[in-house]
Parts: sequence; structure tokens; C-alpha cells
Amino acid sequence: MTVMERFTVTVLWVIGVFAFAVLYAPAAIVVTLSFFSIKNHQVDWGDFSLQWYGKFAENAQLLESLGNSLLVGACAVVIATVISLALAYYMKTGARRGQKYIEFVIFLPFVLPAIITGISLLVAFREVGLERSLVTVTIGHVVLILAVIYRMIMIRLDTLESSQIEGSLDLGANGFETFIYVVFPQLRSALVTSSLLAFALSFDETLVTFFLVGGDTTLPMRLWAMMRTGFTPEINALVSVVLFVTLAFATLGALSLRQSIERKA
Amino acid sequence: MKFVVYGVPTLMILIPLVCFLAYSFLEQKNGVLTGSLTLANYAAFFAGSYLKVFLGTLKLAFFVALVALVFGYIISYLIWRLEGSARYLLLLLSALPLVMNYVVKIYAMRSILGYNGFLNSLLLSLGFIDVPSRLFIFNQTAVMIAMAVIYLPFGILPIFLALDRIPQSLIAAAADLGAKPGRIFMTVVLPLSLPGSIAGALFVMVIAIGDYLTPQMVGGSEGFTFGRAIWSQFGMAFNWPLGAALAVVLLVAVVAIIALASLISRAGRVK
Repeated sequence: MTVMERFTVTVLWVIGVFAFAVLYAPAAIVVTLSFFSIKNHQVDWGDFSLQWYGKFAENAQLLESLGNSLLVGACAVVIATVISLALAYYMKTGARRGQKYIEFVIFLPFVLPAIITGISLLVAFREVGLERSLVTVTIGHVVLILAVIYRMIMIRLDTLESSQIEGSLDLGANGFETFIYVVFPQLRSALVTSSLLAFALSFDETLVTFFLVGGDTTLPMRLWAMMRTGFTPEINALVSVVLFVTLAFATLGALSLRQSIERKA
Repeated sequence: MKFVVYGVPTLMILIPLVCFLAYSFLEQKNGVLTGSLTLANYAAFFAGSYLKVFLGTLKLAFFVALVALVFGYIISYLIWRLEGSARYLLLLLSALPLVMNYVVKIYAMRSILGYNGFLNSLLLSLGFIDVPSRLFIFNQTAVMIAMAVIYLPFGILPIFLALDRIPQSLIAAAADLGAKPGRIFMTVVLPLSLPGSIAGALFVMVIAIGDYLTPQMVGGSEGFTFGRAIWSQFGMAFNWPLGAALAVVLLVAVVAIIALASLISRAGRVK
């Protein structure tokens, strides 16, 4: 490498490190502040404690919204997985003319801005007279994560030998039995990965949920409301906890993704 | 089975979209839907100040995409040059901010950009300014910075993939024929990766254009965006047909951007 090239690469690395620092600054600041108290807009660096973690654990509203988020996420993942399995298996067991159409439709909410999806569902729910509640939120999340789960199941199904399905059918198993005994066991790792990713998406979902939420709120809604009304240090503690939980989920997801890739290879 | 397979996605996604499009043509008087069809909602977009807000937001989203392109390209290029586990570790690190809660990120950005925020403290202690600056909060710049930070990770991954698609043989051939690294970058790497990178940046633009919460948190009254204009019709202003019409305008812009992106990435692939 010439001097000029080495200089260019060094400059690029300086910019790169700066960009990474900026990307991680929001998280770093929130986590750091969660251990200190704030007086007159000044951080009291001498006062290190875990008091804010105790404070938010006493906040019933927060814990309730956390429970709602977990419930909505779990329900949405289960429903979306069942739908995706049905769609993907149907598409795989024969030449289906509608595959392009179905894939186009379920990828729409993934590509379009969240605000469009949110408004569409809101208007549709009003037309059928469905009151906004956790049910409408769950339906919204199903719509959003359908594409992710469907895609991951499809990728796994593509690697299955179609002779396995044909063989099972030839030997007298019906479509359902073939699915339960031949296909499903081989989908397990893909389902774990897609569930984790989809759950993480649902847990964090904000821009669509805002249009669909009723009296019971999810965690991001509650956080937003708290931040709007004013600053309390316990938000930092809660946010840190949320950060670590999502991080744990993401790591689990990444690990199981690697596992399923390795198994494929 | 067939009915369920085609019916469920249609019912859950396509029909709501059609309802939404239909709503934009409904007439509303004194907060009540009259039941007749009208183009007044679209006329309101062109007549009022919405058009100006819309163009301002297009500009804002364009700059966010530009920042994502420049910084995303630099980061992706550095990662792409690495080998082995360092490459995947850094790639993972660049995607990790995506799983941090979105509301939390906006909130953290406000505490960084605010009047008493970290950016001002830093500039004060470094002696660049004497009094805290109001330049970084409650205006369009604040919205731009916050969105750029939040949406940059969405740009890194597609740009990295665009770089990774370049066949190693082309780079090796260029080197064998005597091109120096700088020349290889300018004549091989950059032209082959730019279309995919621009498509990735346009994807960031699509996300930025529809965001209505970031501007609300850091934008103040000066940082009003088109997304906020739409959102307010479903909240306080309570004029759903007008909100739907504005959202249709947004949808048209988004479809145009996506079409442009796929055109660019296809043109890049043919070469």
C-alpha cells in the first residue's frame, strides 16, 4: 500500500468509528444515566445506585403494559406462524397460480410505510365496527410479521427434497399426515428463528400500533406517553431493561439462524 | 383450503388498503361523514399549506437517505474489506441498533440534541460555543439528525450486500492487469456497488418519509412534517377522509421511490 492509500483508509476508519460511536450513543447514554440521579438538569455523578430499577418495578402501569406487549407478541407470532405454515405448505404441494399474488400481498405491509398500514387497518376496523383494543393491535402485528415468517419457512421448504413429500404421499399418507410427520419436524429450527425475529419486531412495533391501540396499551405506547408528559429517571432504567431483553432475543435469534444455516450446509 | 389461503391475506391486507383508498374520496362535513364522494380532500392538499409541507418532507427524507448512503457506504466498505470473524462481528454490530426500541432511540436523541443535552455540553466543554445552542433541537435539522442516526443501520446492510455481490475474480483481474487499489475502487468496486447502494438509500428514504413520531419528539413546531400532518387528522383534527387523502399522496410518492430504486438496481445488474 502506498502512503496515499494508507492515509485514505485511515481517514475512512476514523469516519467509520465516529459513525459507530454515534449509532451507539443513544443506548450508551440511556444505560449510563439509569444508574445516576439528576438534579437541576445536571447529572449527579457521585450518586451511583440501582434505585431507579426498583422504582420502575413498582410502577403498576408500566408492568401492565409490559405484560400486554408480551401477550400481543406471543399471540401475533402464533397466529402468523399458523397462517404462514398453511400458505407456504399449500404453495409447495403443487403448482399454484396464485403464489405471486399471495407473496405480493403479504409483502405489502413490509414495504409500505407503517403509517399507510396503520391507517388502512384503522379504517377497516371502523367499517366492520371492531373497537380498538389489544385484539386490533394483535391483528396489526400479525399483518406486519406475516412476511418475515412466511419468507423464512419458504426458504427452509425450498431446501427440502420434494421427493420426500411425494414419497410420503405415495406410501399412503394424506396431506395432513405428510405435513405432521415429514415436513414439520424439519421446519422446527426455521420456526424458532422466525418466531424470535417476529416477536422482536412485534415487541418494538410502534408506528402501526399507534393507530390501533385502545385503552390497554403496549410497552412502546406507555413509554411514549411517559416521555411526552415529562422526564423521569426511572424511564432510563426501564429502557435499559428493555434494551437488554431485546438484545437477548436478538442474540438468540442470530444464534439459531446460524445453527439452521450450518445444519443446511 | 384454497379459499382460506387466498382469502386470509386478501381480507387482512388488501381489503383494508382498498377501504383506505376509498376513504380518501369520502366527504366529511362538521365532523360527520355525509356518504357522498368528493375530490375535495385532494383539492385541500394542493390548495393548502400541505403541498409545501410535503415538499419539505421529501427534501428532509432525501437528506436522511443521502447521509445513510455516504456513511453507510463508508462503514460497509470498511467491513467488506475485512476478513474472517471480524467481518461478521462488525456486520452484526452495525445491525444491532435495529433491535433497540424505536421510541427509546428517539427519546435518547432528544436528550443528546436538547438545549441541556449532551451535544451542547460537549461543544461547551470543548470551547466551540459559549452558550448552549438551539440549533439542534425543535427544528428540521434536529429531525434530520435524529432520523439519520436512527435509520442509518437500515442502509448499511443493503450496501454491504451490494459490495458482497461483486465477483472477486473481477477485482483480481483488475489487479493482475496492473490497476492500483485506488483505481480498482474507482473503476470496478464503486460502479458495481453504487446501484445497489442507491437502492438501499432509497429504502431509507421510504422509511423516513412516513415517520411521524421522530419529528414529534425532536421537531417541535418548526419540525412539522407530512407524516405529522397525516397523523394529526386521525388524532386531534379528526378528519379521517382528509388524512386518508394525504396518506394516498404519501403512498404515491413511496411507490415512485420504490419504482426508481428497482429501476436503478436492475440497471446495475445488467452491466
